[in-house]
Amino acid sequence: MKAFANLSPATLAEAVELLGAARANGEIAYPAGGGSDLLGMVKDELVAAPDSIVDLKRIPGLDSIRVSDSGTAIGGLVTVDTLAGDEGIRLRYPVLAEAAAAVGTPQLKNTGTIAGNVCQRPWCWYFRQGFDCLKRGGDQCYSVIGENQQHAIFGGGPSFIVHPSDTANALVALDAEFQVAGPNGERRVPASEFFVLPRDNLQRENVLDADELLVGISLPASQAGRNGAYRKVMDREAWTHAVVSVALTLDMDGDVCRDACIVLGGVAPIPWRVSAAEDVLHGQGITAELAQQAADTALEGAQPLAKNGYKVTMARALVRRSVLEVSGTA
Amino acid sequence: MADPMNVVGRPTPRLDALERVTGQARYSPDIRLPGMLYARILRSPHPHALIRAIDFAAALELDGVVAVLTHENCDIEWASGDRANPRMLFNNPVRYYGDAVAAVAATDRHTAEAAAQLIAVDYDTLPFVLDAEEALEPGAVPVQPGGNLAPPFGALAGGGAAVPGPAVYERGDVEAGLAESDIVIEDHYVSKHHNNAQMEPRTAVAQWESGKLTVWTPTQGITNCRDDIAEAFGLPYEQVRVICEYMGGGFGNKNQCQDTDLIAAELARRTERPVKLELTRKEDFLSIHGRWPTSQYYRVGAKRDGTLHAIELTGYSGMGPHIKSSGDIAGIDFYQCPNVRKTVHTVHTNVTTSANYRAPSYPQGVFGIASVLDAICHEIDMDPVEFHLRNATRQYRDATPYTSYGLIDCIEQGAEAFDWSGRRRPAAVDAGPIRRGTGMAIGAFTARLGLSNAMLRLDDAGTLWLHAGVTDIGTGAKTTLAMIAAEAMEMDLDRVEVVWGDTDRSPYSVGESGSRTTSHTGFAIVEAAEDLKRQLDERGPPGPGEELVAEASPNPTLDGEQRYSFAAHFVELEVDTELGGVHLTKYVAAHDSGRIVNPLTATSQVKGGVIQGIGMALHEELLYDRNTGIPVNPGYYGARIATHLDTVPIDVVFVDTEDAHGPWGAKSIGESTIIPVVGAIANAIFNATGRRIKELPIGRDRVIGAMS
Ligand SMILES: Cc1cc2nc3c(=O)[nH]c(=O)nc-3n(C[C@H](O)[C@H](O)[C@H](O)COP(=O)(O)OP(=O)(O)OC[C@H]3O[C@@H](n4cnc5c(N)ncnc54)[C@H](O)[C@@H]3O)c2cc1C
Ligand code: SF4
Repeated sequence: MKAFANLSPATLAEAVELLGAARANGEIAYPAGGGSDLLGMVKDELVAAPDSIVDLKRIPGLDSIRVSDSGTAIGGLVTVDTLAGDEGIRLRYPVLAEAAAAVGTPQLKNTGTIAGNVCQRPWCWYFRQGFDCLKRGGDQCYSVIGENQQHAIFGGGPSFIVHPSDTANALVALDAEFQVAGPNGERRVPASEFFVLPRDNLQRENVLDADELLVGISLPASQAGRNGAYRKVMDREAWTHAVVSVALTLDMDGDVCRDACIVLGGVAPIPWRVSAAEDVLHGQGITAELAQQAADTALEGAQPLAKNGYKVTMARALVRRSVLEVSGTA
Repeated sequence: MADPMNVVGRPTPRLDALERVTGQARYSPDIRLPGMLYARILRSPHPHALIRAIDFAAALELDGVVAVLTHENCDIEWASGDRANPRMLFNNPVRYYGDAVAAVAATDRHTAEAAAQLIAVDYDTLPFVLDAEEALEPGAVPVQPGGNLAPPFGALAGGGAAVPGPAVYERGDVEAGLAESDIVIEDHYVSKHHNNAQMEPRTAVAQWESGKLTVWTPTQGITNCRDDIAEAFGLPYEQVRVICEYMGGGFGNKNQCQDTDLIAAELARRTERPVKLELTRKEDFLSIHGRWPTSQYYRVGAKRDGTLHAIELTGYSGMGPHIKSSGDIAGIDFYQCPNVRKTVHTVHTNVTTSANYRAPSYPQGVFGIASVLDAICHEIDMDPVEFHLRNATRQYRDATPYTSYGLIDCIEQGAEAFDWSGRRRPAAVDAGPIRRGTGMAIGAFTARLGLSNAMLRLDDAGTLWLHAGVTDIGTGAKTTLAMIAAEAMEMDLDRVEVVWGDTDRSPYSVGESGSRTTSHTGFAIVEAAEDLKRQLDERGPPGPGEELVAEASPNPTLDGEQRYSFAAHFVELEVDTELGGVHLTKYVAAHDSGRIVNPLTATSQVKGGVIQGIGMALHEELLYDRNTGIPVNPGYYGARIATHLDTVPIDVVFVDTEDAHGPWGAKSIGESTIIPVVGAIANAIFNATGRRIKELPIGRDRVIGAMS
């Protein structure tokens, strides 16, 4: 492993400057939150060897959660565990609290930041084993003709990763807005536009540039978010990413669904919102049949590879069950 | 009921528990010696390739690099690494992804790593074959010069050249037996490469002083490890010392000497400095070991009344390039049956070499045979418990009596504890997506007797020093043996001090493999204690500065009998047919292990074995990419090693048997614990769903596939 400098900027501006300077000098610098994903990748040489790592943990003011009636602001350095345990989040945005609680293990939740969790790199096993695949600048995707049981059934090609972050699915379901700091100041990106498909950008999973940082997340003060859940299915019961997950919010007026948001995790290179399925629910009384119809609609157009067709069955069941459960119909 | 005893039979915490949990216990990776160098291994990126040239000049030029070993400058054979073909520390051609190509010693870890990457290797890649049956097809690329079919392991174990061919066992007339059967089930089962995944990766530290070599290494047998090292370096045994004070598990993965021991020793010899060689978790998964994958073809016949009449098994075990272990597929021996034929091919493939993992040849075999027998029960509408009471082995291979026999008790008492009659329902009765089912399977594992050694010293302070050549791989052996010594000497346990894990300070031991430490070494302790008590009677307690010493090296044998431990496991689970998940809700493991010396650690052994079996049944597998021959998931995360949340409370039942042999009738426990697990779970999944899944692991993809 090549030696690198560990830089600890004291301000956000300094951090952005360090990243920008590295970029201008043709050097490689990575921002680090908890480092729980980044350091492993650097050690395993899964990403280009950095000249420096910019440790964001010393920057003050990015580690708080402010919940209010007009909306909620979450600092990028808030740990996944803090998010999962925050009273206000649990009350107003249960889907997010549950998604955060579903991450890996207590150790990972204590170490990992929300920004880092959202920006974690793919966990495709070829990528993590160091194959010289498309994602890494090589000329083929090994999964598409190989062991693709964990891969995408939606939005795949030319890479078939699934987005690994649990919290990302909840944030998309909540219509969150991401604050991005860069050399030209700050910009705000809706969660629905933050994540990018491989066909749009093969090298990155989101819109951030190499010298940009995710510094905060704001959530609208929506009533809908108050009724939600995150359901995650894994290959073992801890310490691993979702095979399939569902982030769901339901705004109910008695038995009738006023508004719904359904985002599938583990099925696509980005959190996969299924609007057509939401439409099935809008304005309707929730019944078992309707939930099934929404589930069927959600999985319409899925394009499984040779070994991941089972995800279609799983996702369908998970959508149906979550809708019934969260609507109180089950 | 066996007579109550003072120490033996009482639940006793491990003597070294405090050291272990407070970080005081010294494991091999903790060893640091003055001037010590660090070593790293460069491994093959190809599953099969000829090395045309290796250039390590650039590595040697790096500041801090002291030595580089390759197949060109080091021709040490790793004798216990392969019994069929010579296996060198560095081989050309390389025959699996991860095969060692070179080793570097440098003043620090980072330099060693950097240097390894500076070694330029020119490979001629060769075609490769991953699957045992494909490897036997005409035209398959030869993995070894003699072809891909290895000689039967039994022939190899005898030493000398052996002819390639399957291992065949036969009794009765299987074709006639099948023809006479009322019902015949013909089926195919597949098990996968399953890593031991023990907590502690391999590390070896080697040091030469005045021509004597000391190696600190996590080994399951300090004596055979020392002997192997001595032979590799042409040294008399007393010139080699192997130390393993504490180790973090092995489960068969650390039997004998490892290539890491020899590489560290050779680097230390050349550099004249101590050398520490550490493997990463990934290397530990890749470089050696794991349970071999199998393909099992059965034809099994029974009479309408449920009497088993014929079993034919033709199996293929993919061993990797080297034959380190038997490659057997076992389990059919648990049944009485007049007509049996078993043909097992051990085959060379271009994957990680398999070797021993807890009850090496059993859980995969039981998955197959227990499933087929369960299918027969279903077909003739017979309760599996009744079927097993009728057909379970009464004599070893229907010919040799057992020294003691508690299998029927295990089945009956286990079924009782489980409430089998209350819980068992016909197959696939639940209508919803969540379906509950029950299943059972049985097991047996040898409780060997054999040569062992123990020394007891009673000093003038009244302390009893027990010298035993064990390493305590996690089984609690140190505690068990101290308990046996205390019992035999009629002393309190806290007056016993164990001297272990060092070939210079503790006597010969067969090693902690084959579930035999308690039987072998315990027997020697009892015999040494008899001698010591005789001396005490004659001379009285030792005076100031004196000691009484007794040593015993018994080699008990059995005459016309077989000694076995037995087990019957019962499981209840729920299958989520839509999400593909299997959730265990109840587990009962009934065991006949003779007298239980320490119920606390014995119970832990059972739980540990069951948990490993759950992982093997439901999610663990070392998965190879077929296009490149490279495994995609080496490591805890990728191979989905079972976590605490994947387990279920496990009720352990020990049935009472009296065995005339071993230390007060103690038999074996470590390995029998994992044997029935996979079979019992697979059968419960059938009972829940009415679908039989014939390939491991039974993950969500396979459950959903079977349901559709
Ligand atoms: C065994 C294992 C199991 C896991 N299981 C799960 C799981 O079940 N669910 C789940 O969601 N995650 C899982 N993870 C991922 C884990 O949650 C992430 O590693 C963690 O959340 C990342 O947070 P971090 O702060 O440590 O990020 P880091 O490791 O510091 O960074 C991760 C990535 O994001 C970039 N980055 C970090 N901060 C910023 C920022 N502010 N702006 C822009 N880019 C940034 C880094 O450069 C890096 O590329 C698992 C990880 C492991 C190792
Ligand atoms: S899915 Fe993406 S990351 Fe995985 S092998 Fe294909 S290109 Fe690489």
